[in-house]
Amino acid sequence: MPVTKDLSVEMCGVRFPNPICLSSSPVSNTGEMVGRAFDAGFGGVAFKTIGKGDIKIIHPAPRMAGYDYGNKKLVGLQNVEQISDRPLDHNLRDIRYLKKNWPEHVVIASIMGFSNDEWRELAIACQDAGADMLELNFSCPHMTVEGSGMKVGQAFDLVEKFSATVKAAVTIPVLAKMTPNVTDITEPALSAKMGGADGLAAINTVLGLTGVDMKNFIPSPNVGGMGAYSGYSGPAVKPIGLRCVAQMAQHPDLGLPISGMGGIETWIDAVEYLLVGSTTLQITSGVIHYGYRMVEDILEGISYFMEDHGFDHISDFVGKALPNVVSTDHFDLGRQGIAQYDLDRCIGCGQCHVVCQDAGGQCLTWNSATRRPVMDESRCLACMICSFVCPVSKPPMITYKEVPGKPEVMPPPSL
Amino acid sequence: MDLGYTYSQAVAEASRCLLCHEPPCSAGCPANTNPGKFIRQLRMRNLKGAIATMYCNNILAASCGVLCPTCTLCASGCTAQGLDRPIDIGGLQRFLAEHSWEIGFRPIQAAAPNGQKVAIVGSGPAGLMCAAELAQRGFSVTLFERLEKPGGVLRHLLPEHRLSAVFFDREVKMLADLGVEFKCNQTIDGRAGLDELLAQGYGAVYLATGAWEAVRLDLPGADAGGIQGAMGFLARSKREPQVVKAEVKDKQVAVIGGGDTAMDVAVTAQRFGARDVYVLYRRSYAQMPGNPEEKLEVMQEGIHFVMLTQPLGYTSENGRVNGVKVLRTRLGDPDFGGRRRPEAIPGTEHVLPADVVVEAVGLKPGKGLKGFDGLKVDASGRVVVSEAGETDIANVFAGGDAVRGAALISHAIGDGARAGRAIADALLGGE
Repeated sequence: MPVTKDLSVEMCGVRFPNPICLSSSPVSNTGEMVGRAFDAGFGGVAFKTIGKGDIKIIHPAPRMAGYDYGNKKLVGLQNVEQISDRPLDHNLRDIRYLKKNWPEHVVIASIMGFSNDEWRELAIACQDAGADMLELNFSCPHMTVEGSGMKVGQAFDLVEKFSATVKAAVTIPVLAKMTPNVTDITEPALSAKMGGADGLAAINTVLGLTGVDMKNFIPSPNVGGMGAYSGYSGPAVKPIGLRCVAQMAQHPDLGLPISGMGGIETWIDAVEYLLVGSTTLQITSGVIHYGYRMVEDILEGISYFMEDHGFDHISDFVGKALPNVVSTDHFDLGRQGIAQYDLDRCIGCGQCHVVCQDAGGQCLTWNSATRRPVMDESRCLACMICSFVCPVSKPPMITYKEVPGKPEVMPPPSL
Repeated sequence: MDLGYTYSQAVAEASRCLLCHEPPCSAGCPANTNPGKFIRQLRMRNLKGAIATMYCNNILAASCGVLCPTCTLCASGCTAQGLDRPIDIGGLQRFLAEHSWEIGFRPIQAAAPNGQKVAIVGSGPAGLMCAAELAQRGFSVTLFERLEKPGGVLRHLLPEHRLSAVFFDREVKMLADLGVEFKCNQTIDGRAGLDELLAQGYGAVYLATGAWEAVRLDLPGADAGGIQGAMGFLARSKREPQVVKAEVKDKQVAVIGGGDTAMDVAVTAQRFGARDVYVLYRRSYAQMPGNPEEKLEVMQEGIHFVMLTQPLGYTSENGRVNGVKVLRTRLGDPDFGGRRRPEAIPGTEHVLPADVVVEAVGLKPGKGLKGFDGLKVDASGRVVVSEAGETDIANVFAGGDAVRGAALISHAIGDGARAGRAIADALLGGE
């Protein structure tokens, strides 16, 4: 068995067979789908956000657009999908179905009310249906129902109020799902804590606008001739997600467990989110790209990682990177260095020279006869952009080398 | 022809490009094509810019992309080889051309008429390129072609599997769009015909009549039926394929030679239903001069490569060839061209049965231009010209295979472009 380690985790007193969950989205839309995801290896689900049903939900068409970079497809994903359009009764039956057939797996019911009463009623209904936890959707950035989703998450008093309403109505743990579309995500997180939330989930999608059609000037996805600011996700947003999770995990007054997400595709992404303080993890865009089968590689990868580092439990390394994450004023600016070249392996493309001239310290000249860069180490800024474009990468031909006592480099005046 | 790249495949291939400083690929083309720039433009999604870069130096960019042995030219210096394999420059070039046809983009435009006329004799790559160069400088250009359609070797000799007629037509149409006039089925007859053109007000004449005569081996027994030169075989295969099919169907075909023409003959015979096709070559595989990729494909097609085999003569029965007398060779020291020289192994003479024999050992300009009084030609019939392409007759220029003997398409393109600029300079003189 490739997974040799115990990957189980506990969050808010609930045991997860492993930390990898589906997030609340099209990939967790029905009980049948989630059942297959559990069979494929997912440890839990934040079920597709359930509404009361008094306001009819209709998904725009088309509801998503892929964002490609070069020949790489789906670097990002833009969507205008709404919360569940299914009758409340069907969603509750699916929660019962899942808990009956997969009792060891965790079902988190994601809910969104359009009034204080709705939040309470939904919370109770989902608890009664057997949900292990609740996730309060304060963060969908493109709801067609005015004043809902992200609008709540951006009004910190409402975050606190609805969290308190739900907490007063149920006994199961309550997570608040946060939007990154605020100046400082720890502020609404503190409001959720004030309202009694037991944990946090983040990030929901980043408000984005991925592209405009060159023929008709309509943004994508083109919904009847219009595009909208809407949720952007996928690998492109991972740096934002990691930052938000780390900020919440480091905040001295928060101290709540976090379900982290945003662009997780590989075990490496997953471990990164754990290292910055996530206890469980959630995935949507990755499943939209690769299907549920991707979870197998994440679980195996985490297990091998734990073998390599001698970790027995995931909790052994949750937050392990946080002491290394600082604000820039903590840097030791006395330590300087240079870009070090292994020229024996150079293949002579000259991209390093081009970028050093136009974006670096002009420390590289070019020998046309030998097709090799020639470096003046005294002018190297150690900006390392040459290494970013160098195609010789296994192992890297250009590496950073610290040079003790090296003074900082400043270009001379042009005249 | 195989299918070319789709847009996404082309972008993927372009993304492998290392975007070299002083790109070696751009220094490697006899036609001065600039892959280093057009691949970067493609990668940056500046497709129209890429197409314009490609076509500004080479009116047959698509055909070159398909036909050029890029691995020996532009791609030979490709730095991506340091990682794995060179960029498929020919494939990208073809994609850009097909994309321009698809979107109806005209990368080059004729200049406003300058009132001067130029005649071009022969509509192969050199003639077409010269025409494009001149049309872009405002000259009124007329192309005289002795056959029924323009294109020279590309249309009349190259097998359809190398360059499809539909594909080639789309590229040649760009010249019509430049306002170049084609006069087909028109032979310019000797010096008199040339003088007549000049008298008709053509300020200059460019002779790009190509190399249309097969070099023959002159072996004993070559007068038997069924033995022919590559030129005739390939031309007839395009003009009257049914007749040639009947000739080679279920037959044993021997092709003598190891260059691209020999490969074209061999594959044509095989696809026309020959039972077995033998390529007889007196040196070995590595010394075969043709496009290395083409050689591999031909071998994979099931053609028999009979290396180290020197033809000595032919055997026949009732006036029809029935075999090639051959002898084994071994490789000796390199000759002046650097290829190892074949040496006969005495006592190894034998006969390889063959019903059809095609000698594919080269093409030369032929007798045609020898009839032009005052035109200096060398012993092989090649026109002698200055660096700019001027002949000994005033205002008459020449280039392409008529000057070089059979050569790569990109050389003909380079010649045509140089001649076009030289003609423009000569005619516009002090202006």
